[in-house]
Amino acid sequence: MSAFRILSAFWRLNVAEELQYRANFVASVLGTVFYMATALLTLSLFFRHTSQLGGWDYWEIVVLLGVFNTLTGVIEAVLRPGIGSLVGDVRSGELDLVLVKPVDAQGFVSFRRLDVWRFSDIVLGLGLAGYALVRLHRVPTISQLAAFALTLAAAAVVVYAIWVLLMCLAFWFVSVENIAVLFDSVFEGARYPVSAYPGALRLLFVYLIPIAWTTTVPASALTGRLRPALALVAALVAALVFAFARFAWRVALRRYAGASG
Amino acid sequence: MSWVRRYRALIRNAWLVDLQYRASIVLWLLWGVTEPAIALGIWWAIAGSGTVSGYARADFARYFFAVMLVNQLTIAWDSWYLDRWIREGDLNFRLARPLHPVHEAVADNVAYKARTASVILVVWLVAAALWPAVRLQATPGRLALTMIAVLLAAAMRFFISFTTGLLAFWTTRATAIMELHAGLSLFLAGRIAPLALLPPAVASVAGVLWFRSMLAFPVDLLTGTVHGADAVLRGFASQIVWLGVWIVACRVAWTRGIRKYGAVGG
Repeated sequence: MSAFRILSAFWRLNVAEELQYRANFVASVLGTVFYMATALLTLSLFFRHTSQLGGWDYWEIVVLLGVFNTLTGVIEAVLRPGIGSLVGDVRSGELDLVLVKPVDAQGFVSFRRLDVWRFSDIVLGLGLAGYALVRLHRVPTISQLAAFALTLAAAAVVVYAIWVLLMCLAFWFVSVENIAVLFDSVFEGARYPVSAYPGALRLLFVYLIPIAWTTTVPASALTGRLRPALALVAALVAALVFAFARFAWRVALRRYAGASG
Repeated sequence: MSWVRRYRALIRNAWLVDLQYRASIVLWLLWGVTEPAIALGIWWAIAGSGTVSGYARADFARYFFAVMLVNQLTIAWDSWYLDRWIREGDLNFRLARPLHPVHEAVADNVAYKARTASVILVVWLVAAALWPAVRLQATPGRLALTMIAVLLAAAMRFFISFTTGLLAFWTTRATAIMELHAGLSLFLAGRIAPLALLPPAVASVAGVLWFRSMLAFPVDLLTGTVHGADAVLRGFASQIVWLGVWIVACRVAWTRGIRKYGAVGG
């Protein structure tokens, strides 16, 4: 409880600080709209030459793009400014200041900073998914919406865990300031349903780097492709990956010697 | 002669700096490789056992392998560096040197590209040994022409990036402009698909502007989809004209910007 009180104090400060730079909001929304437009144009280009991609039609993949954008919002608003700055903190020794605080270090590092404007990506992403559902003439049932909420939350957890795992590498390799690029480049693959990829890539995305669980599964829940049991599997996968990330964090922290120490 | 010495020193320096950040370079390399790999995966699925506008699976594989290599050889990150130099004042000590900062940037590019492109080349050779689809049937003449086209494209993308970075003299959003350009080049330069697969109107815009010269033309030369002396000559002419335009733009932006520049912490 006290951890949450501390974090909410940080967030209030954060929001107050960002409110000074309101022009950034416009820039951020414009950037997202441009990004979404290029994604849609890319998709239209593919669909000039096909009517289906991995068994999905155009608007179904637009639903998936909406989910992708929602997760991008989570990443840009929470993960990149928070856990994403861990590499720099490890190198400069600033992590010392975190570790001496009487709070859970992983939670604190992960959620101390927010990029509030990028929360608009979440709204725009859900909006895009909703619009695509309208174009599909599909109204999700309550149970489908529940499955969507569950799988989307699981997706956010999976993405978070992948970030923690990547950032933990900073404890071994100090000069990986741009390790987030590794995530960015692989996550690009989540813009399309896994079934669109050749077999080897598909296996990679489902099992090894589980990004299939981040977009394909929640989008399937919305379009009614998902077997309800799979929503529970998604939650299980999220729990497993999270536990593994937590374990990796513990191991990594043991390697940390501090800067001035 | 002294220019050879200067450049040898600059390139050596850039090479050694890069050497410190080997892990980072591998990461940027991966970033450059995944985009074409994903595009290839999707086109692979679409092509199936047939063809898309004359492109079969093997053609797509060759095209995107060539994109990986040529893109890595021509990409320029200078707008990001310049933006930081100008905003944070790192430009100051560079201006105090008896050498224009552009030479340091060129040397950085040579060192970076030599390293990353040779990795891609090795990956390609290994892939070609195992996978006949990505083997090239290129004559020495065509390879020589490709090399010239790649050089011209690299020079042009360097000046585009450098000029856009110089906009930081006037605006804090120079890198956003570069992102915009990158978004357009996704389609117009042929990063997401061969230009032949775009709607004809869009493809012709790409040809009239500088985008085709940036990437698609050298790639098509390498894979052998540019046929006839006429098409080759027109491609080179467009590259040279646009390179000239961007050099002029760069000079104008530099002279105007430097007059306006009041150094940070001056």
